[in-house]
Amino acid sequence: MIEFDKFTLKNGLRVIVHRDETTPMAAVNILYNIGAKDENPERTGFAHLFEHLMFGGSINIPNYDEPLQMVGGDNNAWTNNDITNYYLTVPKANLETAFWLESDRMLSLAFSEKSLEVQRSVVIEEFKQRYFNQPYGDVWLHLRPLAYKEHPYQWPTIGKSIDHIEKATLEEVKDFFFHHYAPNNAIMVVAGNVDTQQVKELSEKWFGPIERREIQERNLPVEPTQNEFRSKRIESNVPFDAIYMAFHMGKRMDEDFYIIDLVSDVLSNGQSSRIFQSLVKEKNLFSSIDAYITGEFEPGLFLISGKLVEGVAMETAEAAIWEELNKMATTKVDEYELQKVKNKVESSLVFSEISYLNKAMNLATHELLGDADDINKEVEKYQKVSVADILNSSAKIFRKENCSTLYYYSKK
Amino acid sequence: MLYTLLLLKKIGMENLYRNTAPEFKTVDSVEILPSLKHSLSNNIPVHIINGGSQDVVKIEFIFNAGIWQQKKPLIATLTNTMLNEGTSSLSASDIADKFDFLGAHIGFSASKHDASVTLYSLKKHFSETLALISDLIKNSIFPEKEFKTILTNKKQQYQIDHQKTNVLAKEKFTEMIYGKNHPYANIYDSSEFDNCSLQDVKEFYKEHYTPNNCHIIIAGKVDDNVLSEVEDLFGENKWTNQSASIDFDHKIISSKEKSAFVCKDDAVQSTIRIGRKLFTKTHPDHTGMQLLNLILGGYFGSRLMQNIREEKGYTYGINSILISHLKDGHFTIVTEVGAEVCKAAVQEIFIEIKRLREELIPEDELTLVKNYISGELLRNLDSPFALSDGLKGNLPFGLDNTYFAQFIKDLKAVTAKKIMELANEYLQLDDIYLIVCGPKECEEAVTFPN
Repeated sequence: MIEFDKFTLKNGLRVIVHRDETTPMAAVNILYNIGAKDENPERTGFAHLFEHLMFGGSINIPNYDEPLQMVGGDNNAWTNNDITNYYLTVPKANLETAFWLESDRMLSLAFSEKSLEVQRSVVIEEFKQRYFNQPYGDVWLHLRPLAYKEHPYQWPTIGKSIDHIEKATLEEVKDFFFHHYAPNNAIMVVAGNVDTQQVKELSEKWFGPIERREIQERNLPVEPTQNEFRSKRIESNVPFDAIYMAFHMGKRMDEDFYIIDLVSDVLSNGQSSRIFQSLVKEKNLFSSIDAYITGEFEPGLFLISGKLVEGVAMETAEAAIWEELNKMATTKVDEYELQKVKNKVESSLVFSEISYLNKAMNLATHELLGDADDINKEVEKYQKVSVADILNSSAKIFRKENCSTLYYYSKK
Repeated sequence: MLYTLLLLKKIGMENLYRNTAPEFKTVDSVEILPSLKHSLSNNIPVHIINGGSQDVVKIEFIFNAGIWQQKKPLIATLTNTMLNEGTSSLSASDIADKFDFLGAHIGFSASKHDASVTLYSLKKHFSETLALISDLIKNSIFPEKEFKTILTNKKQQYQIDHQKTNVLAKEKFTEMIYGKNHPYANIYDSSEFDNCSLQDVKEFYKEHYTPNNCHIIIAGKVDDNVLSEVEDLFGENKWTNQSASIDFDHKIISSKEKSAFVCKDDAVQSTIRIGRKLFTKTHPDHTGMQLLNLILGGYFGSRLMQNIREEKGYTYGINSILISHLKDGHFTIVTEVGAEVCKAAVQEIFIEIKRLREELIPEDELTLVKNYISGELLRNLDSPFALSDGLKGNLPFGLDNTYFAQFIKDLKAVTAKKIMELANEYLQLDDIYLIVCGPKECEEAVTFPN
């Protein structure tokens, strides 16, 4: 049970406070409701590039990092297709420094041409490092556009291509800031060795004076239902063949989200899971294989990715995966197996609550999705899932015409 | 338009000085949960860190069964991994099933001087999960089929990893400073996977997974029950393996060549590694070098990060680290950069090293890094689990976690002059190794400054 207090400032900023006395630290996590899905299809990668620019100095504070490091703090941020999340931790006595820094960059950035120029290069190197300089690194650049034809989830957070990032201008940066970064489009969670009264005062003092802004309305295209099997074959300079399968599923807040999450756990969470036992250990078809869900806010994907054991034919490997999926879709899992994955989920939630920073991020996400208190209802939602639910949802998802498969061949 | 309005708003506000940093406090000491030492009836040392908010327990069994102790490549790692693959009473899939049902997590790792088995368990299931771990440690049988599967899969992972420029550069670097056959380099060819014998693994297990070769760290909600359960399973006369293992020595042979280029023609970035062999954390200059390392490349505000990334945009990241193995250590700078800027990046790294030798570090920068690292320690040591990792790293040196408090104290005393002296003693070009791994055109980047 994670206890917290919640209040909203006049400008619309939602603030959540969670006290954890076991740490000498305090975390400030600010989530902005803006992600790669909000980008112009001709300027993909912009939300993430923008995240880098948030560290390039704000209107009254030329350098974000130095003053924070001076008080023993540290920070980072991440962007995904749905949100942009900034977080920092400081020794509890220096909490005000965090408020000073974060409120100033919510107020306005410095918008420096030099910062844009440098961060464009940094992000391009990040693009290369993660997507082109790793074996199999470019999978998402192929798989997303195969699975999505209309919805902006068709591009990864980093963007469709490097030249989109090269084109970003300072005008676009300013425009993006004032249409998406605002107290009324953000959620702040303060967690750790803090108290609510202190957080209230600091919030009023530093964030209270920031004006509400008009947020660009979100109007995302709907992905049409997939009606036929899609596939793509690529060859690359990698040592082994690999296969990636993507199935459409529902949104994060759909009723069956927790069911499908457990389906992925039955298949591949832990060494006793089905596809690990059958396809890796018994049949020796894959050297590694995983099933997981993207967990995105809009209708997301159920994914299977596996690296084939050398000498195994792609057709054999693919057929073996389908055999497991068809089993899920036609035969009930037994109660013990379902209880096992539920126990695992419950246990990982207990362990994840060790970290005050983790709790801060999760509270922010739940608040954006509907209500921070949902964080305390998750175990119950998993516990409610029945073997019939698992069967029905599996049958709904694991259909050939709902599948996009990427055959990733080794060029030998 | 909106922009101007905001500016006006700011001027109109009273008592809010947004361009002035609020008052702050520096971290002068770190309060650390102490560890208590016990012994089982057969003298196995048990270190306990009791605390935390959750009803969970982590227990780690550490054996002197690392790469240092193996006679052939891969044996330490394979033995460690294979503990999960079957005992005299349970098959690999039984074991996996039981751990998963209890929501427990087990980890296996083999490093330079030790190998360990770690259990993360909910407190309410600790008795059952501990009994399972006890079975793995004491009654493993190493089935042939599981062994073959693991060899195949690990070999494939090895081949994938060896496509990466950072892996290739790291191997070349450690080979040059420690010597190809030294455990700290731990270099072997992919054909070694075909030469591994199950017999070697079984023998390694018998000789090294023994009570006189073991110590235990328990962290989380640790009460007397936990301790007595550990005694019941791991105390006197509870072990199958008994014999002691004999440690042996390895000689370091550093390369006389100081630079190397590793060609990876299809790479779009190259990895640069610049560094040298240094010393362990018990050396009197270690604390000072930690600080120097931090200034140069040890945090986001470091000189290398500011110059190579934030000023020039050559890379997504650049870091330097100080590695302290038990008997020796090294210092290294690592980055991945675009092929076209590789040469320039190498030269900029050398310029930053030279600045440390020739210029006194400004007082405000020194204060900043001291404050930063103090906060970092506080941040990294705030839970029993994190402290148990710290303790694991300290114990082999005869230290416990009071080391961290002493470290903060010693750190505060390091002066700018001392940093410059250290740079002159340890960062002379003659002692430094330079490795680049990337496409052919980066070969010319392998050049020391004049």
